[in-house]
Amino acid sequence: MRVIIFSWEYPPRVIGKLAEYVSNLSARLVKSKVETYVVTYHDTMTGVAEESNGVKVIRVANPVQTHISLLTWVLTLNQEVERVASNVFYQTKHIDLIDVHDWHFVPAAVTLKNALGIPFIYSVESLEDHRSPSANQPFNMAIRGIEWLGFYEAQEVSTKTEWMQGEVNRLYQVPKEKIRVITPNVNSWIKNTIETYSSAVETGVKNK
Amino acid sequence: MKDTLNVMMLSWEFPPRVIGGISPHMYFLSKSLAKNGVKVHVVTCDFPGAPTNEVIDGVEVHRIDSYKNPSPDFATWVYLMNLNMQKEAAAIVARLPEKIDVFHAHDWLVATASIGLKHVFRKPLLATMHSTEIGRRDGLHTNTERMIHETEGWLTYEAWRVICCSDYMVQHVKWAFGLPHDKLVMVPNGVNPHVYDDLEKQDLKAFRSKYALPEEKIVLYVGRLVYEKGIHVLINAVPKVLEKVNAKFVIVGTGYMKEQLANIVKSMGLEHKVLFTGFEEEANVLKLQKIADVAVVPSLFEPFGIVALEAMAAKSPVVVSDTGGLSEIVDHEYTGMKAYANDTESLAWAITKVLLDENLRRRIQENAYKKILEKYDWNKIAQQTRQTYEGVIGEYSKSFWA
Repeated sequence: MRVIIFSWEYPPRVIGKLAEYVSNLSARLVKSKVETYVVTYHDTMTGVAEESNGVKVIRVANPVQTHISLLTWVLTLNQEVERVASNVFYQTKHIDLIDVHDWHFVPAAVTLKNALGIPFIYSVESLEDHRSPSANQPFNMAIRGIEWLGFYEAQEVSTKTEWMQGEVNRLYQVPKEKIRVITPNVNSWIKNTIETYSSAVETGVKNK
Repeated sequence: MKDTLNVMMLSWEFPPRVIGGISPHMYFLSKSLAKNGVKVHVVTCDFPGAPTNEVIDGVEVHRIDSYKNPSPDFATWVYLMNLNMQKEAAAIVARLPEKIDVFHAHDWLVATASIGLKHVFRKPLLATMHSTEIGRRDGLHTNTERMIHETEGWLTYEAWRVICCSDYMVQHVKWAFGLPHDKLVMVPNGVNPHVYDDLEKQDLKAFRSKYALPEEKIVLYVGRLVYEKGIHVLINAVPKVLEKVNAKFVIVGTGYMKEQLANIVKSMGLEHKVLFTGFEEEANVLKLQKIADVAVVPSLFEPFGIVALEAMAAKSPVVVSDTGGLSEIVDHEYTGMKAYANDTESLAWAITKVLLDENLRRRIQENAYKKILEKYDWNKIAQQTRQTYEGVIGEYSKSFWA
């Protein structure tokens, strides 16, 4: 199985907990014979690098350096994510699945799905409603809109806790059957992840 | 070279959605390309009442959900709209029975959508730069302007060829983004002179009386009321023209300077000589261009100047400022009159001269109309555009993407 993970943070760029999580996840997936690419952002360490643990990391910079908000920054970075993910697709001829972590690269995942038929999983670390409680500005609404798009277009959704599963269900009306709870750092972590991947690939092929 | 080319053109406006000059450009270019054996798919923003999918004169038009939630600001809306546009365009391309050969983007307003499509489908991208932020704003003063400028630069970087509508814009775009000269192609904008044919036989006296007294000459301005269009130069020239000629200034269009301009007119005590019509329906604009005694285009920055061509096609004499694309459209005292840009005296002189010199009027009208038919014909423009596509496809076929 060949998988690309999208994450806006990955070591050495560490913003929150996601960087370490994605780093561990990708390393463990490689050990379990999943060919794993990570597409992430870095301003200077751009290009393809294979880490000692076998994870192939592709870092992209933003072609537009001046921005007025996180939102415009994200929306111009996605085309670079699309570019490098497409490069992997055309070089390897096939990608089974994209695993997108949080909302930032959801637009790229959606376009790649529509264009090349690659199914994706939306893995939720946090939600705009929790990050910016009661913020109802157009800025927050736009981010919530992108989260909603991710839930709508994803083959499956994964959360780390049952609480978050409930929140995704409550805030975005995503049916609970579509949301898998995968507890990280326990024995079943990688087994459950690969099971979820396989199921998404299977239903993704069926829906094509 | 295969017989049919498949092109996907992206733009933020296509009739009936008309905001600026890109919309009519898209309409005539796509239609004329269709007549020249190019299958065109237009992807554009939706518009109330317009169907999501339709075929117009052989062109497939797809209207996308243009993001109607409140946006923090215009630039952010553009990127959010592009997200939807890219998503929907990707789905359209994937389900088409034929393959798209070329993506063609019009302005930064569709930059991010087009750039992504180029890479996911690995097909060449062309961009037409109708204008630039650095030109519109006369420099870059805010982060929004810098961001837009960089997005434009990125689009020209990703494009295989950059099309500009005038030699002036070729130089300007080359300078603004540091592009190599062989990446740029000049294909003029066009005009359809036949839209005025029916008006030739009509009696427009009653229509005229709604705008001016019979003894008043009509000086017409059509355009947005914004700084770059130089409308304030024309307003300041009003009293100078009135010293010599009895005229009515008909100002069609709207923009952020409207109130300010109305106040200037009021303070000059000339409210009875200057008529702000606001936005006018296209049918009325055509008639006004037909009855105008002179059409004025006083722009400070003008990549092309389609409104001057329209007036020339309507056989109305034109006065333009000697800048940008206008300098190329008009030959002084031959197909129109040129005035120094941002110069009230010069503009008033040129307007007065056209209105008073009957021989000059007739001469420039005739020559201008001839030039329209020779140089700005949409069929020729479509052929030049098709050749540009074929050149790019030829180079692409030798690249590792093919």
